[in-house]
Amino acid sequence: MTDTHAPAIRTSGLRKTFRAPDGGTVVAVDGVDLVVEPGEIVAFLGPNGAGKTTTVDMLLGLTSPDAGTVEVFGGPPRRAVTQGRVSAVMQTGGLLPDFTVEETVRAIAATHGRSDRVATVIERAGLAEIADRRVQACSGGEQQRLKFALALVPDPDLLVLDEPTAGMDVATRQHFWDTMRADAALGRTIVFATHYLAEADAFAERTVLIAGGRIVADGPTADVRAAFGGRSVSFRPPDDVVRPDGLDPAWLARVEQALAPLGVSGIEVSSASLESAFIALTGDTPGAAPEIAPDAATAAELTGATR
Amino acid sequence: MTATSTIPTATTRAPRPALATYAALDLRRQLRDRVGMFFIVALPSFMYVVFGLGSDERVGSGNVAMYVMTSMATYAAVTATTTVAGGATIEQTMGWGRQLALTPLRPLALVGIKAGVAMTVAAVAVGLVFAIGAITGASGSAGDWVMSGLVVWLGSAMFAVYGLAICLVFRGPNTAGIASGLIVVMAFLGNLFTPMDGLMLDIGRLTPMYGFAALAHYPQTDGWLPNGEHDPLWLPVANVLVWTVIFCLMALWGVRRSRART
Repeated sequence: MTDTHAPAIRTSGLRKTFRAPDGGTVVAVDGVDLVVEPGEIVAFLGPNGAGKTTTVDMLLGLTSPDAGTVEVFGGPPRRAVTQGRVSAVMQTGGLLPDFTVEETVRAIAATHGRSDRVATVIERAGLAEIADRRVQACSGGEQQRLKFALALVPDPDLLVLDEPTAGMDVATRQHFWDTMRADAALGRTIVFATHYLAEADAFAERTVLIAGGRIVADGPTADVRAAFGGRSVSFRPPDDVVRPDGLDPAWLARVEQALAPLGVSGIEVSSASLESAFIALTGDTPGAAPEIAPDAATAAELTGATR
Repeated sequence: MTATSTIPTATTRAPRPALATYAALDLRRQLRDRVGMFFIVALPSFMYVVFGLGSDERVGSGNVAMYVMTSMATYAAVTATTTVAGGATIEQTMGWGRQLALTPLRPLALVGIKAGVAMTVAAVAVGLVFAIGAITGASGSAGDWVMSGLVVWLGSAMFAVYGLAICLVFRGPNTAGIASGLIVVMAFLGNLFTPMDGLMLDIGRLTPMYGFAALAHYPQTDGWLPNGEHDPLWLPVANVLVWTVIFCLMALWGVRRSRART
């Protein structure tokens, strides 16, 4: 059957075009080559319209590529889906509003023939308390957790997450990523697309930046950040100079003065690190800016460029 | 959230989808929908009570109450299959279809499940209207009751195709309203609500519900209409066949069109 040594994902020359409403064609994905090995945690970063969701659709066999090949665990995506080896939390996947949370899980578990997993995934997604609630009465974050529970039903080897934490509050998001870390430690391969750059930075070992349907950077997250953001040194300023609107300018001036003899110039204050690489590469501002470092005012770091 | 899950590396697991479990959950969801079930069951039962209750004049092998009961059961069954089939189409386009596409469930199995749910809801609706008729004075020969019931139940499948076709052709949030609104119009033209005469009856004979309703009444009336005219058996049969083909073609066209969009 499936080659056990095959990569979790292998795409080559993946290409997909759509017909635009005006009759022209839009290239959504343009020659994507990607190999993800089992056990990797990969962040898929890109602005809206970069081709992330289209790529995800092709990985899951929901859309067929116009050119190129895509393999999941050495076979066609649909086979991996049928075997329950890959599942996903999709951005546009819908739920039925008049099912309860538990019924939704039971329905999907039935389609997988895995009714034995219902209690486990409800527990893991933290849905036990709202199991009897109708889906239409659930908040966006709760629906997102339900979709996550559905993705866990087949106990997949590869989990694809398209904007998985959309709608979750900060505490729930933290909890979600803790769960994901535990899963990754058990050997699950995780590929996620996100706008929350801080999440990619904190969670992914490897980051793939995609823009205009092409991969523009691919490597260890730290390297991607370093290669495009420059080497930088960060340190935390004392609490008494941090104001709601930024750092005390007088203190900043003193820091500049003190560092000048060491050859450090161009001190800048920033709160995000991967963000600068993201903007430099994609020429776009991330959609969910307020979500990046929500405590920016108090945790502002000083970054002195030492290139 | 506890880390009780293990990541199996074996590739031999391929459990079979539990179709019956899915169908049961889906059926329960449908029967729980109060607004939907009102139009499917309560409204036809109410109309039977208003138009048919206590009318004991003879019609064919039964009485007027039975005739009205059959009409309302026809309307109920049509509403049932249209609602379920239309709802299935909307589910697919609203994103649940994408969720199901990530499961081993095959599209054909899903169509089978939905057909089963639609026919079960139709059976509930027909059974209820017939039961109310039986305890409130509808009378006729037992064989004709059974025949009418079977025709109503099985014939309503044709309107599952109709529900599918309408929701595929008129995509949007109010397609369900369009589908059930057209049913009321078709039921009038199909001679279900009030006996028609003259030109309206001639026009009605060409409309989708006329043939089905006439066949449902055939065991009792042998084709005789309330106004004294007579329909030969081939007329309703031809009507049903032609409209079934038209609905199927509409549905196919709708499927092609929705695929072309991606």
